[in-house]
Amino acid sequence: MRYRSQEVAYWYFAVAMVLFGLQLVFGLLSAAKYLGPDPLLYILPFDVTKVIHTNLLIVWVLTGFMGATYWMVPDESRTELHSVKLAYIQLAIWVVMGVSAIVGYLFRFGTGNKLLEQPLPHKLAIVVVMLMFLYNIGRTIKKSGRFTTTEGVLLLGIASAAVLYLPALLHYENYTVSIFYRWWTIHLWVEGVWEMIQGGFLAYLLIRLSGADREVLEKWLYVIVGLVFFAGILGTAHHYYWVGVPAYWLPIGGFFSALEPVALVGMAIYAYSAMRRSGLAHPNALALHWTIGSAVFTLFGAGLLGLAHTWPSVNKWTHGTLITAMHGHAAFYGAYAMIVLAMISYALPSMTRDRAERGTSVGFWAFWLQLAGMFGMTLSFATAGIGQVYLERILGLGYLDTQLKIQVHFVMLMATASLFTVGVALFIWDFFRHRPHFEVADDEAQIARAELTERAPPG
Amino acid sequence: MNKRQSRVFAIACTAFAALAFLILTVDSHRQFGKLTNADKITPAVTAGKDVWHDNNCINCHTLFGEGAYYAPDLTKITKLRGAEYLRAYMRDPSRFYNEQTHRRLMPKQDLSEDDITNLIAFLDWVSNVDNQGWPPRPILVTGSSIPGMDLTAEQQAQPTQDQTAGLPPGARPVTEGDDPIALGQALFRSVAPACNACHSTAPGVNMAGPTLAGVAARAQALVGSSEYGGQAKDAAGYIRESIVTPSAYVVPGPMYSANGTSFMPNTYHEALNDEQVDQLVAFLGTLK
Repeated sequence: MRYRSQEVAYWYFAVAMVLFGLQLVFGLLSAAKYLGPDPLLYILPFDVTKVIHTNLLIVWVLTGFMGATYWMVPDESRTELHSVKLAYIQLAIWVVMGVSAIVGYLFRFGTGNKLLEQPLPHKLAIVVVMLMFLYNIGRTIKKSGRFTTTEGVLLLGIASAAVLYLPALLHYENYTVSIFYRWWTIHLWVEGVWEMIQGGFLAYLLIRLSGADREVLEKWLYVIVGLVFFAGILGTAHHYYWVGVPAYWLPIGGFFSALEPVALVGMAIYAYSAMRRSGLAHPNALALHWTIGSAVFTLFGAGLLGLAHTWPSVNKWTHGTLITAMHGHAAFYGAYAMIVLAMISYALPSMTRDRAERGTSVGFWAFWLQLAGMFGMTLSFATAGIGQVYLERILGLGYLDTQLKIQVHFVMLMATASLFTVGVALFIWDFFRHRPHFEVADDEAQIARAELTERAPPG
Repeated sequence: MNKRQSRVFAIACTAFAALAFLILTVDSHRQFGKLTNADKITPAVTAGKDVWHDNNCINCHTLFGEGAYYAPDLTKITKLRGAEYLRAYMRDPSRFYNEQTHRRLMPKQDLSEDDITNLIAFLDWVSNVDNQGWPPRPILVTGSSIPGMDLTAEQQAQPTQDQTAGLPPGARPVTEGDDPIALGQALFRSVAPACNACHSTAPGVNMAGPTLAGVAARAQALVGSSEYGGQAKDAAGYIRESIVTPSAYVVPGPMYSANGTSFMPNTYHEALNDEQVDQLVAFLGTLK
């Protein structure tokens, strides 16, 4: 830790960890209901556990993004944050918003609009928090006068995420029109500006960990951003299949979403070649695992599995089946959960005492168990989904009869999800088992060395 | 490519895509009205949409294939099930499905009768939206487009007199007190000879007998037309007549009759009591 104010990141990460744990509780409950019968039918039915599961994901990943930004911006701009107090107030409002939303969902207090279930007061609170956050970060950078490309990409990503949330605040009389604008928020977040945020963190981590040349990495970061938006914006059309919009969205969706993996391939090559060329300049091997892992798993989950069902003539049969759940789990985990865990793994050794810089063995177990578990879950959803498509959609067996015939895949889902949960539990335990300890590294030599590696890669 | 050029590349790509997207959005707005029959969004449809949202339906079901994947897609449900069926179902789903056999059940939602009416109006509006013909094959809730696929050979060999035997693993055993529609649905499989041996309820699947998907709407149209030569005065009467005296009126064509005599067994007026016929008519009358 080189700046005192970076300690706020720890508390954001701590909140993210707790919410991540909770997300899994509700995920496991939802999965168990696929096996049924459900003893909680009238206490905690599927719709409630599922809405909490997806909303917790959004909240904890955003918490992680904000914490990671508060960690990264002082490093990049070489200054203290504009206001630590504001950062804590922001976190407090955010937690109150998140917790009250979750409690509300238990009593079905939500809008019932997929992924935008947050009631209006909560949506407004989200906007306020985003604005506070942007203000704080903006003032910090302005104060320092040092504004890097990596930071710029990250910041533009976060600012656009705030802007794209605005259509979610409006009310639409026509259900099809409300679907149309739902994806302005959700799709353009996860396949647009969030990828920008991921790219920003990825560039930061690669510069720090590999000692790769900043100029080169930032140049390619621009190229990746260009590719993300070229394909991603018009790729929104793959959410416009079969919902009552003009037919031209079908070929547009097919073409541009088939291009979406190009940026992800670029990101994976980017991470891999940075390592190949510059080696490891930093001892934190665990953070490196998460960083490269995120780039590769994104390519698999978002790129490959997205491509698998994005063509309209394929999607006609797979639309609205467990194939979507397959893609959704792997994509979100690889792109967003893993990049947040990478930032946490990178920052954590300097925020706690007695923690090995290269990563603990518990940390490595957490990494591999999560990876294996999520891969297994993805396969379970895939096999269940393929069965469902052939039986229900192609042969015309009834929905309920089909679900009975693919039960065995739900058993596999539970088994692999349990493995994943063990991995996450280890990560959370590893996070909390050392008390936070914030000591500014005032060792001039250490800072000089860090800045040296950043400028000139070894070898 | 240097850094400045790569930045220009990023900005140009984003600007191009954003501009194209905005132009298409404007054009979509020009077409939404026609594609979605916006003029048919009545207050009942809007109120039904609120019922849909207030009860968090989308976190189990899908609509236009969007939602959760834990319960059936409802995009075209009003094309497959009539209002009376849906109304009875919404009052208490457990009278139609059994959690022990299906391993999942929809919780009773405690909706008012008005809420149910509005919800059905909303779902009916949804079913008429022009969504490029999706789904390509009707998504059934239970049963099968291909006859017999939902039963094992052993289950099919069981005697059909027992009401619980011969039912697919997904079907719910019924008891006396059940809704007549649910009882009719069970009879459809269990009478001898079973209706579903020759008739499917999936659209377009004709077997020895024609599909009964949409039979209520067809009966309605036929009874009012000049072609019809039977005794029935309304759709329910026509369905009843077709069960009890299949040859009273035969639809022209060589597929299902010859010389004015239907190929359908004419034994049901003896095999079934009046109450059972009522139940079958109630069930078939919901197949719009």
